[in-house]
Amino acid sequence: MTRMIRSVCIVGGGAAGWLTAGLLAAQRSLPDGSGLSVTLIESETIGIIGVGEGTWPTMRNTLKKIGISETDFVRRCNASFKQGAKFARWRTDHDDDFYYHPLVLPEGFPTVDLAPYWNAASLEDPATPSFSDAVCFQELLCESHRAPKLITSPEFGGIANYAYHLDAHLFAELVREHCVERLGVKHILDDVNGVERTESGDIAAVVGQRTGRLEADLFVDCTGFASMLLGGALEVPFVDCRDVLFIDRALAVQVPYESDDSPIVSHTVSTGQKHGWIWDIGLKNRRGVGYVYSSSHAEGDDVEAELAAYVGPEFSKLSTREIRIRAGHRAKFWKNNCVAVGMSAGFLEPLEASALVMIELSAEYIASMLPATRAGMEVVAARYNEITQYRWDRVIEFLKLHYVLSERDDTAFWRDNRDPASIPQRLIDQLELWRYNSPSELDFSSSHEMFPAASYQYVLFGMGFKMDPVMQRHALRDPAAAQQAFERNASLKRQLIAKLPTTRDLLSKLEQYEFQKI
Amino acid sequence: MHLQQLSRAAHGSLRIDPDKACGEVAGSHLVPLSRAELRQASRCFPLFFVKDLETGQFYPAALLGLKARENLYWDGTAFNADYVPLNIRRLPFYIGGEDPAQGMICIDGDSAGIDPQGECRILEEDGSDSAYIQGIQAMLATLSQQHEATRRFAQAAADLGLLSEIKLDIVLDDGEKIEVAGLYGIDDRNFEQHFDRIETFEEKMLYTAMMLSLDNVAGLVRRKNATNAELAAWHAPAAG
Repeated sequence: MTRMIRSVCIVGGGAAGWLTAGLLAAQRSLPDGSGLSVTLIESETIGIIGVGEGTWPTMRNTLKKIGISETDFVRRCNASFKQGAKFARWRTDHDDDFYYHPLVLPEGFPTVDLAPYWNAASLEDPATPSFSDAVCFQELLCESHRAPKLITSPEFGGIANYAYHLDAHLFAELVREHCVERLGVKHILDDVNGVERTESGDIAAVVGQRTGRLEADLFVDCTGFASMLLGGALEVPFVDCRDVLFIDRALAVQVPYESDDSPIVSHTVSTGQKHGWIWDIGLKNRRGVGYVYSSSHAEGDDVEAELAAYVGPEFSKLSTREIRIRAGHRAKFWKNNCVAVGMSAGFLEPLEASALVMIELSAEYIASMLPATRAGMEVVAARYNEITQYRWDRVIEFLKLHYVLSERDDTAFWRDNRDPASIPQRLIDQLELWRYNSPSELDFSSSHEMFPAASYQYVLFGMGFKMDPVMQRHALRDPAAAQQAFERNASLKRQLIAKLPTTRDLLSKLEQYEFQKI
Repeated sequence: MHLQQLSRAAHGSLRIDPDKACGEVAGSHLVPLSRAELRQASRCFPLFFVKDLETGQFYPAALLGLKARENLYWDGTAFNADYVPLNIRRLPFYIGGEDPAQGMICIDGDSAGIDPQGECRILEEDGSDSAYIQGIQAMLATLSQQHEATRRFAQAAADLGLLSEIKLDIVLDDGEKIEVAGLYGIDDRNFEQHFDRIETFEEKMLYTAMMLSLDNVAGLVRRKNATNAELAAWHAPAAG
């Protein structure tokens, strides 16, 4: 018998649950109720973790698809604009040790690859400006607290590429409201305390404490670290990756701005510490700061004192929250009629803000590829597992790349991170190839890549990696084109710094005025 | 610009030359319009919606030139068009204060339009308001009363999805290529699609007028070509 897929039940209501509900309903439900029925059941008692305060630029398209206006989103979520990440004290731990991973591609890339030219120049003259500054205007915008767009820019459109910093609790609330009021998602507030299986092993229903059985054709597990359906009921094992990424604990704190006109930093700042690193994310009304560290390396050391030193004297007045992180992911992400999205599928330290984007990519795939029948689900699930595994592997490698090139020798945390036994073989192979050829799009040829070659260039050269100048000479054949690209970058810096407002000013304007749709 | 609140004591004896006052817009390629004058203005100029640089919000405006600071209707001594927008005709007078609806009348003390030889007086000899200043008061009153309605009208066009960005891509007779961006107009397909959602007949008519006014871009290009031809003739060496 052909069983049609007509209903989806999402268990869990954090960002993962509501984004999945939003994307599914926006793409699959119809106004007359004849499309896919989407129900979300969330606990009244279990709160959301609310990490993932940084997004990728993909979030702009996700919001557009769901139908939330950018102005509403910024206002409701105390959101701000993010133009990349600044990594401080990762390489040498000196005061002037920092580099950027901006969101704008290097000038001319990939037609003109400036990396070999910059590499040659910096070998000749160590005072050459940093890679990210030489090839991209966005570092200057970040350092000057500039916004990536103007009040006259259309919503979701920018002059420089951008993502967001947001308050994850407010974000889940906004998407929930939109899903329920505009997209016809059914919302049930109840604790799920049972899972019923069919003979074939599928999930037949989840059982709410008050509301009873809830049947559906597909179940989406958004229950966070608990992974109640996929990990619990369907017993899909967890693949630990602590052997590669050591971080397993976070100590988070919300820091108010000193004054109403304090600059809002429009990039995530990640500052290397003794046993990990501190994130610093500027929202409109406060900063979110947290120390993620390896508890085994930090044992006996006062991590709170490190965080206090970073935050400053006001730290004593603030309350911290400890979050346990289990680095890794499920061995499968979709089994039978259950797919996990969000932390129930896996979690990694938030070094490149991969949490929300993995949710978006997963939900987008499910919404686009949801098969019409139960039989088709096997095919889609197998593909989904392959793609999602590929994505997790690439994120893990890219995060590890940030650590392996560090020259820090002050603690075992940094030294152990360079232990070849902790480095995925593919990354070791890539690093060997990159000694002679700069990262190119041919290194990353899947259509499901997470990070473009340009991102690897920014981190690699930001961390002080040098290519062999002798083997690079073939790549220096068109110095005129390179010179033009460097000059274009310099010219863009001059133009944009004169044109763009500060992030604080733009956000203040948005209190009163809206971005237009066009 | 030096705005001063208009008073009988300080300004009663001034004379104004309205044409010279209009010289203020010699270097303006856009002039904001009030909703009340859209229909008349649509016969002479291409009308667009433009974003206010400070607020990002749309306002209706007449396009007067094809380049920044180019006004093809200013002939050197007067604004030469069948209809002169209120924001030009009221010069050198302005509405001062934060809220246009509550505003007071101000005069630009630096305006070239303040001229002892000017044909218009502010007060008659008997001390009463001149017909000229009464006309100015009426224009400023229209502008301030229509300010909010104009803003709502523009925002409604955006909210209804009637607008699309219009990029002008023009090749002049002398081969020069001009691209003009940042203009938004009533898109006929969007207009047709959302026509029934527009609430009043008057709004439908005004949007129609604005849409049809886009044909006036051709007139603007003709003016530009004529100006260029005149300049070329001026630069040409004398015969013989």
